[in-house]
Parts: sequence; structure tokens; C-alpha cells
Amino acid sequence: MSNVEKILSDPVGETATLAPKPKITAEGAGIRFGSIVAVEDFTTVIREREFVSIIGPSGCGKSTLLYAIAGFLKTTSGVLKVDGKPIVKPGPDRGIVFQEFVLFPWRTVLRNITLGPEIAGLPRAEAEERARKWIRLTGLGGFENAYPATLSGGMKQRVAIARALTCEPDILLLDEPFGALDVQTKNYVMKDLQDLWIAASKTILMVTHSVQEATLMADRVLILGARPSRIVADVRIDLPHPRDPLDQRLGRYRQEVTEILSAEVDRAMKGERGQ
Amino acid sequence: MPIGFQILDRALRVIRFLLPILGLLLVWELAVRTGLAQAGILPAPSTILARAVELLGLTGERAVLFGHILASLRRALVAFALAVAVGVPLGFLLGLSEEAQLWVSPILSLMLPLPAVAWTPILLVLFGPGDLTIVIVCFLGAVFPVLYSTMQGVRACGRQPVWVVRSMGGSGLDVLRRVLIPSSLPALITGFKLGMAHSWRTLVAAEMLAALTSGLGYMIFAARSYMDVSTMFVGVVCLAAIGMLIEHVLFGTLEHVTIHRWYARDAQTGGRQ
Ligand SMILES: Nc1ncnc2c1ncn2[C@@H]1O[C@H](COP(=O)(O)OP(=O)(O)OP(=O)(O)O)[C@@H](O)[C@H]1O
Ligand SMILES: [Mg+2]
Repeated sequence: MSNVEKILSDPVGETATLAPKPKITAEGAGIRFGSIVAVEDFTTVIREREFVSIIGPSGCGKSTLLYAIAGFLKTTSGVLKVDGKPIVKPGPDRGIVFQEFVLFPWRTVLRNITLGPEIAGLPRAEAEERARKWIRLTGLGGFENAYPATLSGGMKQRVAIARALTCEPDILLLDEPFGALDVQTKNYVMKDLQDLWIAASKTILMVTHSVQEATLMADRVLILGARPSRIVADVRIDLPHPRDPLDQRLGRYRQEVTEILSAEVDRAMKGERGQ
Repeated sequence: MPIGFQILDRALRVIRFLLPILGLLLVWELAVRTGLAQAGILPAPSTILARAVELLGLTGERAVLFGHILASLRRALVAFALAVAVGVPLGFLLGLSEEAQLWVSPILSLMLPLPAVAWTPILLVLFGPGDLTIVIVCFLGAVFPVLYSTMQGVRACGRQPVWVVRSMGGSGLDVLRRVLIPSSLPALITGFKLGMAHSWRTLVAAEMLAALTSGLGYMIFAARSYMDVSTMFVGVVCLAAIGMLIEHVLFGTLEHVTIHRWYARDAQTGGRQ
């Protein structure tokens, strides 16, 4: 527990030397839908090129939070800032990958991926040039002219990731990106994503249900409590990338996060019964 | 697949499609020839064909069929085009606004099952017999299915595809052009099919009631005075054949180059993602 306490008393890592600039700043951000409080008092700082994972019980407002950072939803209290400026609308500086992929079935793989540059007004040739780089890096070569309906789940996922990356966002928002994948494909795409992150030096914010995914990939794991949700712990995973899933130290982090999480779920269950 | 093979494959499918129809005609012909059916009420297909040739002829007193077909097609297509021009934009507006939907949905659910022919007498009082009345009736038959399908298609799009374009910095026009229109296209085509079918169906009844000199409906109705059953059957067959051609050739091709290509694999497995 000592590790957690230390980080809780220093939530933004102020003591770290030469810390990169803050990228996303949340100051008491809250989002409510009518009487339902989906997110309450979310406060944290995510720095440039940091890989942060958000984990928490189902329905605690993780997707809602991500949508607010993407600019699709407005905060009803507090502020969310990117580069020090309050978020007012969606923008190409923040790319999002939805859990359900949300590919456009009427466009081929290539056309799905060139969508961002097309909207930005780039000529077709240049748009394709940019897309091809990410098609290669996500291992989609040879499938440029396939329609999404003919792809497997894992490949759709990679198209969604390539589509977001082709817009060259500073921030990549991932909502349970491996939820629909089988274990084999998941390990493969997870490895890809780590390599991509190292190569592309983006700020990544990833929502997940899986302690294993969170600890394997992230620099920091934010654990959200059950509704009304706040950050109950901010665990820094102090291991170099890329990480070996069998690393002993990783196992200890996994255990730590799991304990905090189950305590939180227990509390939530008791609270519900008590009502 | 080589091109030659494709053409062969297509020809085989057309033959397979026509086979049951030819079978039906054969049974019909035999029934009349053996005296099972009365030729005065149910003329044999060969008699109908002979009459059709007569009517189709380019010269001669009875060479009127082309004129009737053209008159009918023109009315049905004008009505359909108007229905699309009104139904599609309105459908988009209603699909995008929850508020507007709440107001219009009850009215739509009244108008949708109402046979448009019922308006004909009222319109006859207003405008008298003629093209205007017929086109308005057909328009009323076509516009509600087009409107309703468009609305459903736009609604079914959901917010996430819109968000994808928004997060790339896309404008409202980008959302319309790159998401709403293509994603509602399957529903739009369904709406067009239904709209055209309704327009075609309504047409016949409207022409019987309101046409002065031309149209297939008029031809069938006018033949009644001479007990000319063969001509009536020619009219019925033309209506069926043209309706089928529009559905299969026109909209079939449209579906083939759009939806079938996009959802190629799911078409075989059933669902669509
Ligand atoms: N548009 C909405 N209107 C009303 N309530 C909503 C809306 N969107 C989300 N909520 C509610 O807000 C809460 C948080 O939802 P959210 O989808 O963010 O949870 P989540 O943490 O992503 O859950 P999961 O892990 O199951 O995906 C839920 O109780 C949900 O019912
Ligand atoms: Mg979620």
C-alpha cells in the first residue's frame, strides 16, 4: 500500500525531475446526465508522451470521461484542458478508437484510413501516402481494397487504430480497444500498440477492464471507484518498455492494482446492499 | 471470374428466374385449350400475345399500347421523383431532430397505411380529371414510404460514426456527405423501392378514375365497354412486367453497386455489423 499512498500524496508526479509538459489537465471535472452523475470530481494531470490507463468497475463513467476529453460531451462541472486550453469541441489533435471500431462499411480499408487527411483537405495521393505508412505499421498491407465486412475482428481493430493514427493526433484515446479480441489476437495487437507508442511518441489514454492490459502497457494506472466515481488510486508502473508479461515485478503491480480494485468493487456492492 | 463466365452465370440465373413463369403460362394455355377454363373470361396466353402484338404495332388503328405505357410511366416517374425530392430532405430533417420526430411520427403512422387512392375523388373535385390529379395521388402514395425509410435510416446511424468525422475536424457538411448519406443509403434504397412500387400501384386505380385518354389503367378500364378481355389482360401483364423490371433492373442494379458490395460477406452470413 505504501506505493499507492506515496503517489496519492503526489498525484501529478511533481517530484519527478524534468517532467514533460502537462498534456491533459482535469480539475474537478464532473459529468452528469440529468440526475445520474456519471463522473464526479475527476482531477489529474497527464503529461506529454505518457501512457495512462483507466480502470474501474463497469458503469463508473470511463467511456463518458473519454468522450468528454474527445470533446463529444461537455463537462457539467470543473474543467478539462488540453495544452492548458479548455476543451470545447472535438478536434484532430485527439484521435479516438471506439470499442466497437465504428468503421465505415461503405469505404474500403484504405478509404477508411484516408478519411482524416481527406477531411483535412489533402489531395488524394498525399492522403494515401500518409495512410500507407500506418497500414504497413499495423500489418494491414494487402488488405487496402477490402471492405470492412470481410475483415476479422482483430483486423477491424487495427484499421480503427490506423485510422486514428493517420490523423497524426497528439493524444490517442482508446476505449477498451481489446474487448472484442480473442487472446491470441489481443496479445498481438497489444504488442503492436506498444511498438507504435514507442515509435510515434503519443500521449495515450486507454480505458480497460483488464488489470493485465493496464499494467503491461501503461506508465500509470488510474483506478476509478464505483459511482459516483473519483480516482481512488494512481499507481505508477516503474518498468521500462517494452515489457515482458512474465516479469516478476509486473506480477507484483498486477496484484497491487487487483487488490485496490476488488476492495473498491466490494465497497460498491456493500453500498448497494445497504441502500 | 472471367467475363465470359460471368455473363453465362447471369444468363443462367435469368433463365432460372423465368422458368416458373413459363411453367405457369404453359399450364394456363393448356387449361384454356382443353376447355377447363372459359376462353371468354380467361383468354389463353397465345391469344393475349397476339393481341399484344396487334396493340404494339407501330401502325394501324389499334397500335396504342406504346402510347399508354409511356403515359403511365411518365406519370408514375414524375410522382416518384417529386416524392423523392420532398421525402428525402424532409426525412433527413426529421431523422436528425428528436423534437420534430415526436410531432410528425403520429401523423406518419396515420398516413402510412392509408391507401392513397382514397384521395382521388377529393382531388377530382379540386382539379378535375387529368394528369395533375393522377400525379398528386401517386405522389401521396409514394412520399410516405420514402419519408419514413429515410427517417429510419438517418436515425439508425447513431452518434459514434458522426463523432468519428467530428474528431477529424469535419464540418456539418462532412458529416452529411461522408456519414449520414452513405450510412442511410440501404434504407434510402428500400424507401425508393417501396415508393416506386406504391406509385405504380396507385397509378392504375387513379388512371381508372381520373384519366381522360391515356394510360394503362385507362386502357384496361376502357376495354370493359367492349368486353375486350384480351386487351384487359395485355394491360395487366404490362403492369406486372414493368413493375418487375423497375424493381429488379433499376433498383437491383443500384443495390448491386452499393450495398451488396459493402456488405458482401455479411449478406451470406445474415447479419450486418
Ligand atoms: N447518454 C447518457 N444518458 C444517460 N446516462 C448515461 C448516458 N451515458 C452514460 N450514462 C450513464 O453514465 C454512467 C457511466 O457510463 P459509462 O458508459 O461512461 O460507463 P463505463 O465506465 O464506460 O462502463 P463500462 O465499463 O461498462 O463500459 C452509467 O451509469 C450510464 O448509465
Ligand atoms: Mg465503457
